[in-house]
Amino acid sequence: MRRHLLRGLVLVYVGALIAFPLGFIFEQVASPGWSALSAALSNREMTSAIWLTVRVALVAVPLNIAFGVGASLWIVRHPSRFTRLLDALIDVPLAISPIIIGVSLELAYAQNGWIGRPLAAWGIHVLFDYWAIVTASIFVSLPLVSRQVMPLLRTLGTHQEQTAQTLGAGRLRVFLTITMRSIMWATAYGVSLTMARVIGEYGAVLVVSGNIAYVTETLTLNIGNNFENFSAYQGFVGASVLALASIVVLMVLSYARHRERLRHEYRP
Amino acid sequence: MTSSSPAAPPSPATQRPAAPAPALSQRGRGIVVSATRWGSRTLALAYLSLIVLIPVAALATHALDHGLGVWWNAVSQRESLSALRLTITCAAAAAVVNTIAGTATAWVLARDHFVGSAALNAIIDLPFALPTVVAGVTFYTLYGPHSPLKINVTGTWTGVTLAIMFVTLPFNVRSVQPVLEARSFSAESAAATLGASPLRVFATITLPALLPAILAGAGLSFARALGEYGSVVFISNNLPYRSEVASSYVYSLATSGQVDAAAAVSLALLVLALVVLGAADLTSRRVSRGLS
Repeated sequence: MRRHLLRGLVLVYVGALIAFPLGFIFEQVASPGWSALSAALSNREMTSAIWLTVRVALVAVPLNIAFGVGASLWIVRHPSRFTRLLDALIDVPLAISPIIIGVSLELAYAQNGWIGRPLAAWGIHVLFDYWAIVTASIFVSLPLVSRQVMPLLRTLGTHQEQTAQTLGAGRLRVFLTITMRSIMWATAYGVSLTMARVIGEYGAVLVVSGNIAYVTETLTLNIGNNFENFSAYQGFVGASVLALASIVVLMVLSYARHRERLRHEYRP
Repeated sequence: MTSSSPAAPPSPATQRPAAPAPALSQRGRGIVVSATRWGSRTLALAYLSLIVLIPVAALATHALDHGLGVWWNAVSQRESLSALRLTITCAAAAAVVNTIAGTATAWVLARDHFVGSAALNAIIDLPFALPTVVAGVTFYTLYGPHSPLKINVTGTWTGVTLAIMFVTLPFNVRSVQPVLEARSFSAESAAATLGASPLRVFATITLPALLPAILAGAGLSFARALGEYGSVVFISNNLPYRSEVASSYVYSLATSGQVDAAAAVSLALLVLALVVLGAADLTSRRVSRGLS
């Protein structure tokens, strides 16, 4: 009886706080009918914003996967005082507000900034450009892969790799068939978190992108702009596109968690 | 860089059969391997420096360039202090509510299996996956001036706290849940058999074991809430002195050309978040020691 009461309370809380707002987005999008929806979906500014978000994710996510897996292997397999420092530094982005990330990048990449000045000498201007959005997206999602992979690598050890090497497998083969295979689902979990963070970043991108329609307006900025310009419906259509994307991410997340748990249970 | 680490203790596995390849080519391969290793390490450090370390160092330098007095002057502006107070209060209020609700949710997820508990488990992660701006516009529409529920909390601390509660709930749940799942019922069952009431069992056995995890989750929630922007900016209405959160104040400084003041307030907020996260990290280390 008491258990049912607690279950009910939790369901009401999570339902009201999370499920109800999510359902409300789709209700808002669906209520004006199909013709309004199809007009909003073919809105040129929004489709251009979606395309920009995809282009940013296609660069930022692979870079962060490579960095996350590589840095995890370095930190876990070759521990030293330096890698301990690195371990702490990698997590810094999680402590920083997106707006502060944006301001930091603006200061460093401005024409007279520490990085911006040498780049300007080469004729490269990062700020208020596509690359500024990529940089901000990488910053906000940097630790998400390594935070999933590192704990797993720590518990796995290197016995399997050593065995494979003894049996004559080359380094690349050991890496692909043993290391990557055993961290695959943890990496997938981290990658989906990275993906969600990159396509959903708002504050940092707002500061560094310049928010120029058709040029540096990502989908999140487009939603915010529509909302501030009283095109709430258009904003909700954009929001529902992102919400659908995050539901897909969520399904990948729970599948990855499930696979990871299975692997743990079957480990001798 | 996957194996044969120099730090690894010698194990039977390293006794490999005689290599058929001549010694010179093996040394050549060794050079290639270490070149790749150091090359990729340099790349990783350059990546981290260019994207995270140098920008954050630039922020700190701008904040402290003119001395601590100027920094404190920017932080102690009335608008700044009221934004910081609002942010800290709402973050703390949300952390308190979510500590209770999150612990209850974790308990239900770990110990109570019913039809739909898998769905409940999945939807807890939604605030991680859902973009903050989507949460922001949704909460503004639901609880704003044109609310279908006739609830208007825009421009109030309640509205800000509500948005923060949504964003931070997963931290509270996901910190406590693994600890509950790893613990067995036996101590609780024994206490119940001996006649302890459920409340007493919870207060004297379950809660003390969970406390480090609960505190760690609350710390993560609080730190995240300190910097929250996208989900609160719409519902807060950004009224200076009344409902403007710290990150929103920093944004308004940065866009009005007061970059140094923006950097100063940013640094204060950043240090606060790092301290809270450090404390949360220490307690969660105690959690993992307790688990193993």
